[in-house]
Amino acid sequence: MARDRSLKLDSDGVARTRAFWIANKPGETAAPAFTPDAPLWSAVALALVVALLVQSSFAPMLAVRGATVSFITLLVAWYGVRTGVARGLAFGVIAGACLDALGGGTGAAWTLGTGLAGGLAGRLARTWLADTQLALVLGVAVVTLVRYATFGIVMAAQGHPLALPWVHIHAALWQAVLDAGVAYIALLVVPALGGIPAYRR
Amino acid sequence: MVPIFTYRDERKLFAVIGAVIVAALIALVQIDAAKSGKPSIIAIAVTSTAVFAQSAVARTGNLARGLGQTLGDAPHLIDDNARLRARISELQRENDRFRETLAQAPELRAIAIASANEPGSIEATTVGFDPENVSRTIVIDRGTSAGVKRDDGVINAEGVVGRVIDATPATSTVLLISDGASKVPAVVQRGRWWGIATGTDGRVRMQYVSQDAKLKLGDVVVTGAGRSFRAGLKIGTIAKIVHPEGALYQTALVEPAVAFGRISRVLVVPH
Repeated sequence: MARDRSLKLDSDGVARTRAFWIANKPGETAAPAFTPDAPLWSAVALALVVALLVQSSFAPMLAVRGATVSFITLLVAWYGVRTGVARGLAFGVIAGACLDALGGGTGAAWTLGTGLAGGLAGRLARTWLADTQLALVLGVAVVTLVRYATFGIVMAAQGHPLALPWVHIHAALWQAVLDAGVAYIALLVVPALGGIPAYRR
Repeated sequence: MVPIFTYRDERKLFAVIGAVIVAALIALVQIDAAKSGKPSIIAIAVTSTAVFAQSAVARTGNLARGLGQTLGDAPHLIDDNARLRARISELQRENDRFRETLAQAPELRAIAIASANEPGSIEATTVGFDPENVSRTIVIDRGTSAGVKRDDGVINAEGVVGRVIDATPATSTVLLISDGASKVPAVVQRGRWWGIATGTDGRVRMQYVSQDAKLKLGDVVVTGAGRSFRAGLKIGTIAKIVHPEGALYQTALVEPAVAFGRISRVLVVPH
């Protein structure tokens, strides 16, 4: 929001940003369903590279009860919430493909799982979940669980079902809690990370 | 009482006589000390007193000389300081390098010994982990261009690490034996009882061990001959035995020989 400097005045004489005018055409009175607020692509790409490096270098050190905070999921969820379904899905697919390439032996499981997570985050941003930051945190937990579940399903479909399923369910639940916790702290420290709320104006 | 008349000043005379007596005493003391070969009391007293004065004079002199030298050398001091600081930094870096080499020495020596025992093995270094920590895998810095192939066994000086599940030209992914998807033929060294070593996402579980096998805690478990490993490589030691009533097989929890949290150098053993 802060980066969009193309302010225009509305009928009340209040300066509004370009993102506002995308969702509110002049003369429109209905509340917008979603206000895209895309971050700079270069910043997102840099954040992805850093997240991948951190996770691939320190994953075992970041583990809590067998689960690791997924900075990739957090990044994809954040981007999805800020940009919508299509771009969230696209970014999720790219991030997931990088994970598959780095991890090895997972085929396209992370590609599809993370892609779906990005799309889901974009879709959640159109609901009340994006209106309060606490609900946004809940959304992150949901996205994490869906991503992990998709990963497991795709692995099974590829002929490599996850061994010790209960261990993975336990890890998925812990990852959801950890991701939500980190998201909560991040939103607490930098509230602007949540982007433009869908229904609140 | 009438005073005695004299042309001499008696006080001077007494002083002269006193001086002669004192000088004689001093001479006697000195001669006596010289004869006995020891320093005299007078010499001790004089030198003890003089040392403080000499020290003070010497310090003052040194200080003055140092000050003069410092003033004379002042133009060179800045350069000398910079040069010495650079030298200290260089020595510190060198010291750090030596310390690191020293810390790595035991591992390097162990790997060298293991390498000698496994002809044709390829040394590699761990460069990464599974980013999501879903599977127990590591990434090593040797790939197909170095001769690494899928299903090659990976060991280190402590024992069995895992097997290669994915190899690219520059890197390979190794599935650790602690991963739930890992299965390795295993033998209890003491009684030659066979089983399958499966990962439990942390430890290793030796399954399908015959009920009549008399397992003991601390028994060493090694690899059986298989696709990825030759026989006799250490997997770990038995930490717990599960012996259910009526079951066909018993299970042993194995404490891996390898500390998976700190794997740095490994050997890829081509199959």
